[in-house]
Amino acid sequence: MKFPLSWLKEYVDVTVEPEKLGDDLTAVGLAIEGIERDGKDVVLDFDITTNRVDCMNVYGLAREAALIYRLPLRPLAVDVVESGAPAAQALAVEIEAPDLCPRFCARVLDVRVGESPQWLKDRLEQVGVRPISNIVDLTNYVTMELGQPTHAFDLNRIPDGRLIVRWAQVGELLVTLDGQVRTLTSKIGVVAGGRGALGLAGIMGGRSSEVHAETQVVALEAAYWEPLTIRRAAKTLGMHTDASHRFERGADYGAAPLAPNRIAHLLGKIGGGSARPGLIDVVGRPQPRRRLVLRPERVDQLLGTRVPAGECERILKGLGFDVASVDSEELAVVVPAWRGDVTREIDLVEEVGRHRGLDSIPNSLPPATAPGTLAPHQRLERVLRRTLADLGFDEAVNYAFVPPTDWAAVLADETPVPLQNPLSAEQAVLRTSLIPGLVRNLQTNQRHGRPDVALFEIGRAFRATGGAGSKPAEPARLALLVSGAWQRRGFADQRPAEFADLQGVLEALAQRLGLETLELSAGPEPKRLPWDAWLGAYLHPQRWAHVMLGDGPIGVLAELHPRQIDALDLKGRVLVAEIDLDLLNSRVSRRPTVRTQALSRFPSVERDLAVLWPADQPSAALVTAASRAAGALLRDARVVDRYQSDALAGRVSLTLRLRFASPERTLTAEEVDAAVAAVVAGLPALGAEIRGV
Amino acid sequence: MEEPLHDLKAQLAALRDEFQRGLTAGQEAESLRDQFLGRKSGRLTALMKRLGGLAPELRQAAGQQLNALKSELEGSLERLRAKLHDKREAAQLEAERIDITLPGRCPPLGRRHPLTVVREELEDIFVAMGYEVYDGPEVEDDYHCFEALNMPPDHPARDMQDTFYLDGGKLLLRTHTSSAQIHYMLENAHPPDVRIICPGKVYRRDSDITHSPMFNQIEGLVVGPGITLGHLKGTIEAFLKALFGQQYPVRFRPSYFPYTEPSVEADLGCIVCGGSGTLASGDPCRLCKTTGWIEILGSGLVDPAVFEAVNGRLGRTVYDPAKVSGFAFGLGIERVAMVRHGIGDIRAFFENDVRFLEQFPG
Repeated sequence: MKFPLSWLKEYVDVTVEPEKLGDDLTAVGLAIEGIERDGKDVVLDFDITTNRVDCMNVYGLAREAALIYRLPLRPLAVDVVESGAPAAQALAVEIEAPDLCPRFCARVLDVRVGESPQWLKDRLEQVGVRPISNIVDLTNYVTMELGQPTHAFDLNRIPDGRLIVRWAQVGELLVTLDGQVRTLTSKIGVVAGGRGALGLAGIMGGRSSEVHAETQVVALEAAYWEPLTIRRAAKTLGMHTDASHRFERGADYGAAPLAPNRIAHLLGKIGGGSARPGLIDVVGRPQPRRRLVLRPERVDQLLGTRVPAGECERILKGLGFDVASVDSEELAVVVPAWRGDVTREIDLVEEVGRHRGLDSIPNSLPPATAPGTLAPHQRLERVLRRTLADLGFDEAVNYAFVPPTDWAAVLADETPVPLQNPLSAEQAVLRTSLIPGLVRNLQTNQRHGRPDVALFEIGRAFRATGGAGSKPAEPARLALLVSGAWQRRGFADQRPAEFADLQGVLEALAQRLGLETLELSAGPEPKRLPWDAWLGAYLHPQRWAHVMLGDGPIGVLAELHPRQIDALDLKGRVLVAEIDLDLLNSRVSRRPTVRTQALSRFPSVERDLAVLWPADQPSAALVTAASRAAGALLRDARVVDRYQSDALAGRVSLTLRLRFASPERTLTAEEVDAAVAAVVAGLPALGAEIRGV
Repeated sequence: MEEPLHDLKAQLAALRDEFQRGLTAGQEAESLRDQFLGRKSGRLTALMKRLGGLAPELRQAAGQQLNALKSELEGSLERLRAKLHDKREAAQLEAERIDITLPGRCPPLGRRHPLTVVREELEDIFVAMGYEVYDGPEVEDDYHCFEALNMPPDHPARDMQDTFYLDGGKLLLRTHTSSAQIHYMLENAHPPDVRIICPGKVYRRDSDITHSPMFNQIEGLVVGPGITLGHLKGTIEAFLKALFGQQYPVRFRPSYFPYTEPSVEADLGCIVCGGSGTLASGDPCRLCKTTGWIEILGSGLVDPAVFEAVNGRLGRTVYDPAKVSGFAFGLGIERVAMVRHGIGDIRAFFENDVRFLEQFPG
């Protein structure tokens, strides 16, 4: 909100530089956003917080400035020269709905509608209001000066000179000043004449009784409206006006009589007309000023600094509070009508703190009461993030919302959780998996000429747990994606990543977490997993696996289905994985502490076997059989190479590496040979044999 | 037929000369050794074999002369071999010269997201000050997100344009991490001491270059007997200095939030213009809009209404506003990262463009 310094100076003799004034007002919570110099004048731009409607006007700001600089605050000139017949003969006001309107004040003015004097037009332009005519301009001027919106009716267009404040009838129609036809409801307040609504209470006047060039008599309304009624009505109508903005935040009950007098005073001053004798003041529901008790000891306890009772009194009085009695333990405080935001002792503490100055409060740290901690799942996520970054993965963060047609939305036959008010159809439901987001990131990067991508994301998926209204589950997930060159990115001998690369990453994570090696399984699981709905449709039917940890599955690892690659207009192969972090965390937290084993003094012996193996059989079967056949000296058996060729006719060549050792002695060649022979002897039964010697 | 060993001195001198000639002529070390010191046909060896035939009184002197020459020749040969070795080694090393201006073969290194880096830094600062890191759900109900935080129905912050609701309208995506405060207090109904921070994603219906419909906040809550506004100021100043550096001043000014009273906003001296509002070029500073200050976080003493709401849900007075007080603060993690790294568009954080991500050390 913009206010010129010259206007402020009408009420308080501020002498400091504008910048200093800006800093000082900011320090009491009235933040200055900018200072503009406009010819001789200076315009201050404020960002007033929503609770301080009392400072959304010049006089309220002047009150704060007067307290800061310990200067007197000049009262507003409201003396009115009255003439003619009493106002009450021309205008009658009735409040039918006191729950809507606690107070309605009015004056009757004889006017000569015309242009405003230059000073008035300048002031309005400085605060960003367009001048219209002297009568309308004066109402706007006083709104900016006092914070009390008013409305001018053409009295001759009010049927029978009667204004009735009531709730609208359902379906009642009203053309507002902006020319819109409004259909009203019973929760909307109106100021009506005998034949229907003339204006919306506290929001906007009506067309039919608008002041125009030929208007001779004006009925001037200044009311106090129940804040909530205005807020609800404005919301229902989808309207937001300067008046509704102020009224719904709570205007000043005491300003209702003040504003018409101020306008009448200024009207005389600009020679625009005169007031009929008498202020009409109808009270629907009296609003007594609130009484509170402030304990200076409480101020000290909460602010953390000593503020003497006399200082509390000085500050509160400067802000317009009455301080009825002062002793060292309690202050009896009466809250001014314009401070609807002050309802409790704590609010008084804030007032004292603001003007005592936050800088006067010494900084200190609260005593620590326990060691600081990260929860186990937070520590796990940290290890995962650092390890994956060290393994070459960039971390992604994607929105939780996805399009309802997204494949993330059809995960595991679940109905995704829809938003009631999404920003767009593209963001209409909550994700059930993190994988599609990473795939979209791959699309983006491929479009930008960066096809070599390794990404991970840690975040929550959302799964419906019941009907609408039941809280969705928020499983924590880790998702990974690799596409294009990755391990030797940037070198001539790079190759595209494949299934085993991402598998190896998962194995590395398991090692880093101190878990037994992760295993993959493409077998059926007793319980359907979230990703199973994708198999064959979005995931390659021959290149997927459940990621097994201990006895159960914790995730999926797969190559994207070529059909999906085409559908998404992607290039190259894409490997993805997703792990349930809640399951992983429960395993990690049950992991036993490492107990070291004594190191053997005896060397181990390695033997490699080239085995022709049926191409359609899993190599794990060879490892299992070899491990069984090799006897007690075997320490480790693993496949270290796989060679495929048409010449092998349905078989592949696997290199099986066997490692033997004994904790008690150095092995002899004979006993190792015997163990290897036992492995070889078992091969034919598996449809395998040693590759041609 | 052996020559007598008389005139030994002259013979040895001749041998030595011959050896020297061979050496000078570039004869190889092995052939020189064979010729003079070889076990079978070495000429010096032959002389030494005859020592036994000498009268004992002559033997010692002759032996000394022979041995002296032998070690002399062996020493020469050793030096020759060493020289040759050095030469060969130098040639080989020369051949192994590499081009150190070629790039190194860097193992693939990825990066944590810049928001993660900032978040973990903040977590570490607070853990070191004795805080517990706590996270609550992202899907919330009205009570936790608004009502318990002193935002009754019809409060402006609850407008439809701000909050994402789930179908049915009862549940919503949390608009701030402040809701985690309420979860924590309800789950830990054993005051008086709370020291937590709650980092996490929050959602608001807003999208432009400075607003994202999803962003990250970190909330702090401290409750205990005798917690003051001075503790709040001290804590915020300490962590802002730890995060941005000691050189930036911190300013506090009164503000307004429904769930704190008094409410305080903290500003940081502008890290771009140094608080002057003007850049070295003379242009106005855009980060602080020439004010010299950057708005960085909102905070305040916990409003007693929040404690009362928690007590109401618990059905007993656990957080008695007459006995305990507290402070809370919240800041946007994107805001910190944008200020620190000069990022102009908040959407960059969520596009996951590797050209953006790889600019950070991670």
